[in-house]
Amino acid sequence: MATAPLAPSVLIVEDDPALRTLLMRLLREEGFQPLSAGHGAEMARVLETNKVDLILLDVMLPGSNGFDICRSIRRESDVPIVMLSARDDETDRLIGLELGADDYIGKPFSKKELIARIRAILRRTQAGAQSSQPRGHQQMTFAGWSLDPGRRELLSPDGAFVDLSGAEFDLLLAFVSSPQRVIGRERLLEMSRARFSDASDRSIDVLVSRLRRKLAVTGQAESLLRTVRGVGYIFTAPVERR
Amino acid sequence: MKLLRLWPQRLVGQVTLVLMLAVALEFIGSSILFENSRLYPNRDNQIRRAAEQLVAAETIMESGPANERVAEAAMISNRATELTWSPLPHLVDRNRPAENQLKDRLREAEPALRDRDLRLNADTDHALPRDTYLKAAVRLRDGSWLTLKTKIRAAPWAVLLSSVGSAFILGLGVIAAAALVLHNLSRPLRTLAEAADKVGQGAHVRISESGARDLKLVAEAFNAMQDRIAGLLTTRTEALAAVGHDLRTPLSRLRLRAGFVKDPEAREALEADVDEMTAMLDSLLAYLGGQEDPEPQRRTDLAAIAMTLVDDATDAERQATYAGFDHLPVHARPVSLKRAVSNIVENALHYGGDAAVSLTREGRTAVLAVEDNGPGIPDNELAEVLQPFHRLDSARARNTAGLGLGLTIVQQILHREGGSLVLKNRPQGGLRVEIRLPAL
Repeated sequence: MATAPLAPSVLIVEDDPALRTLLMRLLREEGFQPLSAGHGAEMARVLETNKVDLILLDVMLPGSNGFDICRSIRRESDVPIVMLSARDDETDRLIGLELGADDYIGKPFSKKELIARIRAILRRTQAGAQSSQPRGHQQMTFAGWSLDPGRRELLSPDGAFVDLSGAEFDLLLAFVSSPQRVIGRERLLEMSRARFSDASDRSIDVLVSRLRRKLAVTGQAESLLRTVRGVGYIFTAPVERR
Repeated sequence: MKLLRLWPQRLVGQVTLVLMLAVALEFIGSSILFENSRLYPNRDNQIRRAAEQLVAAETIMESGPANERVAEAAMISNRATELTWSPLPHLVDRNRPAENQLKDRLREAEPALRDRDLRLNADTDHALPRDTYLKAAVRLRDGSWLTLKTKIRAAPWAVLLSSVGSAFILGLGVIAAAALVLHNLSRPLRTLAEAADKVGQGAHVRISESGARDLKLVAEAFNAMQDRIAGLLTTRTEALAAVGHDLRTPLSRLRLRAGFVKDPEAREALEADVDEMTAMLDSLLAYLGGQEDPEPQRRTDLAAIAMTLVDDATDAERQATYAGFDHLPVHARPVSLKRAVSNIVENALHYGGDAAVSLTREGRTAVLAVEDNGPGIPDNELAEVLQPFHRLDSARARNTAGLGLGLTIVQQILHREGGSLVLKNRPQGGLRVEIRLPAL
């Protein structure tokens, strides 16, 4: 059992006792230090006495629901929040992300998916202290396009919503976060793999070519993502943050 | 007001009253016409009477003094016959055959007129009942003239004919009036029939509660029935959706528990089962929740959606290709639209084994086509596969997953986005499914 002093602690806020127990067991096996609460008040008590690295928050809770709890946590702390919901619909996801949740997972999720997302967020926030990875929901614009990391949305210069896969979005976010700088293939692979573990199967070049096609606007795309032979890629356009 | 209160409230009463009024009107109208015709004497009698009057007047004139003749003539005139005296003749014989014949008839009727100087004019109406206006003048012994003007009514058969004609016209009028009234009475019934037809197709139609009392009752009952059905459907839908959401928590437990199973084969089978149940639940909830989707419509790149889905399929080592525009914006709800395209691509991969996705433009319409090389759908079942919970026999026989909601959801989504769904069997085999949406 991984009880190293550096094991990240994860607080599970879930009203279903069986699911709570399962999540505890799963997180413990994966080397986390799990804590649990059945509702908002209990969660507040746990937070007072423990240092928590991440909160897994169910949306449907007795008393005040997950959205309210998320809002009140955000008023005091920046602790990463992953929302769990039985309602896998887009509006719920957007509300959660707008309220400051870091991720949103629809039930039923698999062990693999859950662990991958928790690890990705922990890595992002731990690195976030020193890197330029955006925290919060700053919109970024480049060459007429705009990228909203909070809503995970990309809008084309003519204002159309452009659908991106999770890995594509993370890759684009990585590029946009370090514009006009050469990024190595290894680093990009690591970034895009952070979110979904099955990203390992696709080569970074395939992802880049897909992004290029989606960003293609009359010959502009080639220059947005330029290949640096033998090293990696460079995102050529300047990025503005709002 | 009193008349309004006498108007019956019930349909039977209203119809009866209208029919009674029509019959009464017809009866009264026709009896007036027939009675009139019977009053008229026949033509010979009228001519004889005119001859008699002429002779009688002549006798009176000749026996009296000449200076009183004008007054006497006026005195013996009546409503039907006018007599005048004048020193000179007003009439000139026109020698028409009909007039000469009439002159002979007068002389036949009154032998006293045989050796007298007689002048006669007869004008017959062109219009029915073709009465004849008769003017006859006789020369008195002192050379002055006595003139008689009268109307010879046409023969009774002509009168009869004309009155039958009037009765016929009257009858037509009454029938038309009755038909008009009944037409108005039956309008609520027709509205009801049309409404029932529309309700059968799933629309909610309120019909106005007006007309006869029993028709009003029918309308009220019909509206109430619709409300009850709608309420029932809503309750059922909500209950089903609630169960669907609640099932996700035990499914989550099951999926997490599957992660602890040591035997990899059993674990994979368990996970596949949970995946299948999740997919069924998702499609059921999408179908039930489709009507009140809160997602707003926005400018959406249809090409990007198609590319993402094809790339996902390729990553899962399934045979999918994309060809066409890099960008093609449409006005739609992105999540719904992605679900629609995904359902079609999934169908193609599942039943056809491959999916060739293409995106083209036909004028102002964006056409996203998904083609496969599978068995297609029998032509007579092309319409049926859009029905909810309909599964082709071949799919059932192979025990493939799903509830039979996939294409129903696609159609539901496209209907809401102002697009359409077209299913075609390709001549070279396989199915072609087209999503057609207005392009921006």
